[in-house]
Amino acid sequence: MPLDVSPIFRSYESQRTLNPPGIPGLAPLPSGETDDTRRICEQFGEDIVAAGLHHGNQVVQVDAGRLKALATFLRDDPELRYETLIDVTSLDKSQLPQNGDSRFQTVYQFRSYARNQHLTVVADCEAGDGDNGAMPHIDSLTGVFRGAEWPEREVYDLMGIRFDGHPDLRRILMPKNWHNHPLQKQAPLGGEEVPFTFTWDDPEFDTLGTQILPSVSVAPDLPPGMSRQNMVINMGPHHPSTHGVLRLVVELDGERIVSIDPDLGFLHSGFEKTGENKRYKDFVYYTDRMDYLSSMSNNLGYCLTIEHMLGLEIPERAQVIRVIMAEMQRIASHLFWLATHVLDVSGTGMSLLMYATRERERILDLFEMVCGARLTVSYIRIGGVWQDLPDAFISELKDFLKLMPGKISEYEAMLTEAPLWQERLTDVGHIRGADALAMGLTGPMLRGSGVDWDLRRDRPYCGYEAYEFEVPTSDRGDCYGRFSIRLEEMRQSVRILEQAVANLPSGLFKSNDRKVTAPPRAELDVSMEALIHHFKLMTEGFHVPPGFFYNGIESSKGELGFYVYSDGSAKPYRLHVHGPSFNNLYAIDHISRGEMLSDVVTNIGSIDIVLGEVDR
Amino acid sequence: MGLEEKVPEGILTTSLDSVINWGRANSTWPLLFGLACCAMEMIATGTARHDIARYGSELFRASPRQADLMIVSGRVSNKMAPVIKRIYDQMLAPKWVIAMGICASAGGPFNNYAIIQGVDKIIPVDVYVPGCPPRPESLLYAMDMLRAKQKRESVGAGRKVDEPVTVDEIMPLGV
Ligand code: SF4
Repeated sequence: MPLDVSPIFRSYESQRTLNPPGIPGLAPLPSGETDDTRRICEQFGEDIVAAGLHHGNQVVQVDAGRLKALATFLRDDPELRYETLIDVTSLDKSQLPQNGDSRFQTVYQFRSYARNQHLTVVADCEAGDGDNGAMPHIDSLTGVFRGAEWPEREVYDLMGIRFDGHPDLRRILMPKNWHNHPLQKQAPLGGEEVPFTFTWDDPEFDTLGTQILPSVSVAPDLPPGMSRQNMVINMGPHHPSTHGVLRLVVELDGERIVSIDPDLGFLHSGFEKTGENKRYKDFVYYTDRMDYLSSMSNNLGYCLTIEHMLGLEIPERAQVIRVIMAEMQRIASHLFWLATHVLDVSGTGMSLLMYATRERERILDLFEMVCGARLTVSYIRIGGVWQDLPDAFISELKDFLKLMPGKISEYEAMLTEAPLWQERLTDVGHIRGADALAMGLTGPMLRGSGVDWDLRRDRPYCGYEAYEFEVPTSDRGDCYGRFSIRLEEMRQSVRILEQAVANLPSGLFKSNDRKVTAPPRAELDVSMEALIHHFKLMTEGFHVPPGFFYNGIESSKGELGFYVYSDGSAKPYRLHVHGPSFNNLYAIDHISRGEMLSDVVTNIGSIDIVLGEVDR
Repeated sequence: MGLEEKVPEGILTTSLDSVINWGRANSTWPLLFGLACCAMEMIATGTARHDIARYGSELFRASPRQADLMIVSGRVSNKMAPVIKRIYDQMLAPKWVIAMGICASAGGPFNNYAIIQGVDKIIPVDVYVPGCPPRPESLLYAMDMLRAKQKRESVGAGRKVDEPVTVDEIMPLGV
């Protein structure tokens, strides 16, 4: 008997009674034009439904039939040169007004690194009833950008849109015989009532632990493209070196890898659906739990997106505090990467694990100082940060900054020149720059292949333009190149931190806009208005004007993007997270082919994945 | 009185139960098995600062056949549940389970279609640790509770699991 996980429908989850009649509202059409949109309109004429700027991003809405042609044009046109497709996501418009003949929409984020341009392309899918019968469908872009393969599979899995011409359209996150597409609007959030009890006499305890699943042994399917002539082995989801619950099906010829098929979703937690049922401010706490090794960056990415949509000004001091936190988090994340990478590669290299976590603990102590939590910090909030820095923080941080460069040199002394380390990393996991671009890789995976791009420098946010730092790149394209990049990034982060500490301005640590951030506690005692603001914020939350926005930041693993579609209410209508680990992990098959089985472990470590973010 | 007076020095008498329980409680090997954020704190517990080696539990075994303790460190998704059940079945008795964090205990912040509301729906749990994530100290306290529980067991009559552990039973490390 399979486990009963049938979801309970809770009507209050989808009630929007608090909202004024203008809600839900549609996002306005993009307006104005730029060089790029003009060029696209000239080329495609009638087929462009709308083009222009929306929330500062270039947006083009195209007829579904011409989507593939547009993508090819964007890539090949010498004036446009959009080399990479960062993200694919989708929107179910069924609860928006004027929802015409097409219910589903796909949304693409294109990026030109050479010209530093970002373009959002929107296309309405061709009809088809989402619930049953024919599925809505649209052309697949896998033929143009290879990296579209996984994001399109994700859209198919969670939203139920079929991509015509996709080479391998299977579910990617949910179990393969799952009954629905959870992100469709009519699908309930799901979940179950959780009875809490304090007494052992409660009948609940009679059944606890007895609703046992039958653990029958099922021979899993052979992934498409693999042959039983070769040896097919299973790695994970319970494996010490897969950095969590990742399952890889590896096809081997002797000890050489023929192909790899990653099986994801063992940690799928429904972040996006949950976010669509929470008020804007409440999703900050969830972002911590996605990439739990860089919680601060996740907080930051989400908050920046919402703040941009609100048009909120962030005080100077808050910006600098955010930079301090994000850079400390980058160091912490890289330290943990280093620790586990060494452990994976050498099998028993416990010493570096101990050393690197020793330094990481110092960072966690500093986090604990500012917000009381070590890991799931939720310190960066919409409007600023939660609280001001405590008095002792800066001096503690200075101590840490004095010590850190020496420690990095110590790690280098242990690894960089070590013949064993070089042997295991050099020419392993090789990827060329062109492939990295076509696959939509970001972060150290991209810089390791010679593409000089860092969002902090090239599309600055949070005042990063005021800091002096270098973006390390490497032309090697192998694990060793990525290793040296990450070590250097830690040094650069220390540099940024030193500048931030030296220039920390005084002033507000969060925005004074009472509609978005709560008034200070003391004010509640004396001001009725403050009390009302507080009450409104804590019950209803704040409303975000209708519109959509994609924003990416440079987290430790690559570009962390948030796509939010607001219908004007206090909850996001659509919330999509572009996790860098997810896209980077796509490269595992490509970079491991022809290598030895033991190199897979090196490659996983070198990609630096966090399963919470891969699976979301 | 009794036997102790007759045997030469250097020889102890004890009951079979207490010597076996003493051994078990001081070398409980956990399964090397991390699920989500809580696993990071589990790893932190294993490193030098918190030093789970004091409990004889520093040896995280990758194979369920060699492990005594499963620390469910994170949220359990519908896709993962059968795997966890399978791994639990593969562990040899006696075996114990710690549900680390609110997700493993009751689903935590993820009351949605993807996550099972508590790992106790599929396997029996000995100790629940609250927190999101629990600090390493909390996990160590859970180990203390587990030791108290282990010390009550008997080889003869099977596991005595019917009564919750009381605070008085929890001995500080080394007693
Ligand atoms: S309890 Fe909290 S920290 Fe632990 S897995 Fe769940 S969300 Fe993550």
